[in-house]
Amino acid sequence: MNDVSLDLGGESTAFIGQNGAGKSTLMKLLKGLLVPERGDILINGKNTKDTSAAKLAGEIGLIFQNPNEQIFKHKVFDEVAFGPRRIMDAREAEARTAAALRTVGLFHKKDVNPYDLSLSERKLVAAASVLAMDTDIVIFDEPTMGQDEKGIRTLKAILEDLKGQGKLVLAVLHDMAFAAECFERIVVMAHGEILLDGPPEAVFANEEALKKAGVEPPPVMQLAIRCGFTERPVTKESFLRLYYERR
Amino acid sequence: MSLYVDRPSVIHRLDPLTKLCYIAAAVTVPFICPVKSVALLVAAVTYILLAAGRVVTKVLPLLGFVAPVLLSIFIIQGMFMPDNHALVFRIGPLYFYKEGLSYAALLSLRVIGILGAFSLLVLTTKPSDLIQALMEKGLPPEIGYVLNAVLQIIPQMANALQRITDAQRARGLETDGRLLDRIKAFFPLIGPVVMNAFVETKDRAMALEVRAFNSKTKRTFLHVRKKHPADVALRIMCLAAIILAVVWRLVG
Amino acid sequence: MSIIKAEALRYKYPMQDELALDHLSFSIDKGEFIGIIGENGAGKSTLCQALNGLVPHFHKGAYGGTVTVAGKTVHETSVGELSTIVGMVFENPVVQITGAKLTVYEEIAFGLENLGLPRSTIIERVDEAIELLNLAEVRDKSPFALSGGQMQRVAIAGMIAMRPEIMIFDEPTSQLDPQGATEVFEAIETLSRNGVTVLVVSHQMERLARHADRIMLMHGGRLVAFDTPERLFAMDFSGISVRRPVYTEIVRTVQKAGGISAETVPVTLEGAAEWLVKHRG
Repeated sequence: MNDVSLDLGGESTAFIGQNGAGKSTLMKLLKGLLVPERGDILINGKNTKDTSAAKLAGEIGLIFQNPNEQIFKHKVFDEVAFGPRRIMDAREAEARTAAALRTVGLFHKKDVNPYDLSLSERKLVAAASVLAMDTDIVIFDEPTMGQDEKGIRTLKAILEDLKGQGKLVLAVLHDMAFAAECFERIVVMAHGEILLDGPPEAVFANEEALKKAGVEPPPVMQLAIRCGFTERPVTKESFLRLYYERR
Repeated sequence: MSLYVDRPSVIHRLDPLTKLCYIAAAVTVPFICPVKSVALLVAAVTYILLAAGRVVTKVLPLLGFVAPVLLSIFIIQGMFMPDNHALVFRIGPLYFYKEGLSYAALLSLRVIGILGAFSLLVLTTKPSDLIQALMEKGLPPEIGYVLNAVLQIIPQMANALQRITDAQRARGLETDGRLLDRIKAFFPLIGPVVMNAFVETKDRAMALEVRAFNSKTKRTFLHVRKKHPADVALRIMCLAAIILAVVWRLVG
Repeated sequence: MSIIKAEALRYKYPMQDELALDHLSFSIDKGEFIGIIGENGAGKSTLCQALNGLVPHFHKGAYGGTVTVAGKTVHETSVGELSTIVGMVFENPVVQITGAKLTVYEEIAFGLENLGLPRSTIIERVDEAIELLNLAEVRDKSPFALSGGQMQRVAIAGMIAMRPEIMIFDEPTSQLDPQGATEVFEAIETLSRNGVTVLVVSHQMERLARHADRIMLMHGGRLVAFDTPERLFAMDFSGISVRRPVYTEIVRTVQKAGGISAETVPVTLEGAAEWLVKHRG
C-alpha cells in the first residue's frame, strides 16, 4: 500500500486488479487485521489503530475465500452463531443467525455438520456467519471463485439484500462481468496504488488504464466495441437497449 | 526449514553417509574408551572438521545452550560424586573434589564432541541430499517423501494458521491478551487447522498418485551425488577407529 | 479414431446412495479438445477421475461398465501405469506441489523419477516442459514461492513431462486471477495444437466455448448433451443452472425477440459481433 486515500460509503464498491495489486491487503487493513504503518483508517469514526480486530467485528464483516479455514463447530447453526454470540445477547444472536441462514438458503440444513455439506454450501455457511453479525459494512473476498451459476445467483441475491438494508458492500473481484453488474463503484488497483475509481461504465471504458492494471473489460463491453458502438455498456440490458436503438 | 549452511568446503562435498559414519565413530569411540584423552582427541578432530567446513561459528550458540547444563554437571559431580576423596579447592562452604571434576570433564568432552559431530552433518548437508542418500540405500520412498515434505510443509502450515487466525479474529475472537482468552481461542483455531490439513492431505495424495508415486519401478534420482575420492577412505578410517577402540578396550 | 471410450459407466461413492456417474456412454477422438460443464456436484470431477483410474482405484465404491483409454481398460490398469497415458491437473495449485522438492526444476522431474526413466531422458523432458510453459525464469525457485498461475503451470509441466496422450484439467483456473487463467488456457491451447487430447472442466464458458471442439453437459451424474459449442449452447437446458457465454446469451435474446429459432448460435466474441451486426437489419 502506498499513499492510498479513499472515502467509502453509500455506494457498493468492487476492487479489481491483478493478484498482488494490494486488494486483499487493503481489505485486511479496513478490517483491522493489519494496521497501517503510516496514515489512518477510520471505520465509522473509530481508528483501527486504537481498536482490536475482535472489537471491530461488530462494525465490519469480512467473508474470506476458503470456508475450511474458519469452520469448527459440529452444526451449521452453531457455526453461524459463533460471531453474533460474541457481540450481542443470546436471543438476538439466535434470531440473526436464523435470518442469515434463510438469506443464504441453508436454514433447512441448520442441524447438519458443516463438513457434510458441499464446498459451495460451506462457502454460504461462511458468508452467513458474517452476515449474522449484522455489521454496517460487509466485505467479500473473491466471492465468485469456484462458484457455479446457481452459486452466483445466490450471491447476487445476498448482495441485493444487503444493499436494500442500507449496508455498505465491498468486494475484491476477478469476475469483471459480476463486478460491472452488481457494483455501483469500481476501484482499479495496481502495485498498491489506486489507478482508477468511478462508476463501472467510466472505469471499464478507460482501456489504457485497464491494460496497465492487467484487467480486461467485461465481455459485454468487448462485444460493444467489436460491434462498433461508441457507447460503453457494461450490462446485457444496456447493451440490448443500445442495439435496438440502432436498428 | 533447515539448519544447512551453504559454504564452499570439502566437508560440504563429502557424501552424507560418510558424515553419518563419522557420527557413529565419534559417538561410540569415547564411550568404548572412557578416558579423557580419547574424548578430547575425538572432540578436537570434530571441531577441526567443523572449522574445515567453515561452520564452527554456527555451533557456538548450541554450545552456549548446553553450557549451563555442563556447569551444573561440574558442580554436582565435583561436590557430590560418591568416589570423591581428593579435595582440589573450596569456595566458602562448597568443597570440590578431583574425582568428580575429572568425571564431569569426561562427560562434558563427550557431550561437546557428540554435539559437534551431529552439527557437522546437519550444518554441512542439505536435508534432501541426506534423505536421497538413505533412499538409495533402501529407505522406503514413502518415508523419504515424508521426511522431505515435513521440512517444507511446516512453513505452509504456519501460513494456514495465520489465515485461520485472521478468519476467526474477523468474527470477533480475541486471540491475544489475557491467558483465558488465548485458551478459549484454542478450539476455533485448532479445528480448522486439522480439518484443513486433512482436506489438503487427501488432495495431495491424489496429486502424488497421478504422478506415479506408487510406481513399483526402481526410481531414478535426478540429482547425481558426486562421490568424493576421500569418502571411501574416510569411512574405512571411521570403521577402523571403532575397531581399534574395541581392541584397546578388550586388551587394556 | 476414438482414444477414450466409455460404455455404460456407473459409479457410486462409498457411503452414498446416489450414483455419481449414471450410465455414461461416449467416445472421444484423438486430438479433440473437450469441455465439460455442469453445476457443482454434477459429476464432472468424478468423470475425470474415472478416466485416469483414481476411480475406482483410489476412491473405492461400486463400479460398473467399462472405460478404455488408448486401448487400456481403466479398472484393470493401475493409476501409476495410467499416469503415462492420462495426465491430470487439479483445481488447487498448492496441493499439487509435492512438497518434497526444493526447486521448480526438481518438482517437474518428480513423476519421471518415479517412473525410473534414465537421467538423460528426464533432463531432456523437464527442459522441454519448462520451455513450453514459459517457466525458465522460475526454474530454480522454490515451488511454494510462486503465484497461483505459476504454480498451476508447474503442475501442468510436471504432467506433460510424463508425456500422456490425454490430458485432463479439472477447473484449472478457478482459483486464479484473469491473468493466471489466460496463461493456463494458452498453455492448454498449445498442447492441444500439438495433437494432445484435452479435456477441461470449467465454469468459464467464454473461454471454453472459444477453445473446445465439443462440450459435455453433465447433470446429476448423467450426460445430458455432448455436442459442438455452437449446437450445445443453442439448446434449452431447462432445470439445469448453467450459464452460456455472455455473447451467446445476447444473441439468443435478440433471436427470441425476433422469433428466430436456430440450431446453432455464435459462441465467441467475434462470431457474436458478426451475427449482431448482420442482423441489425
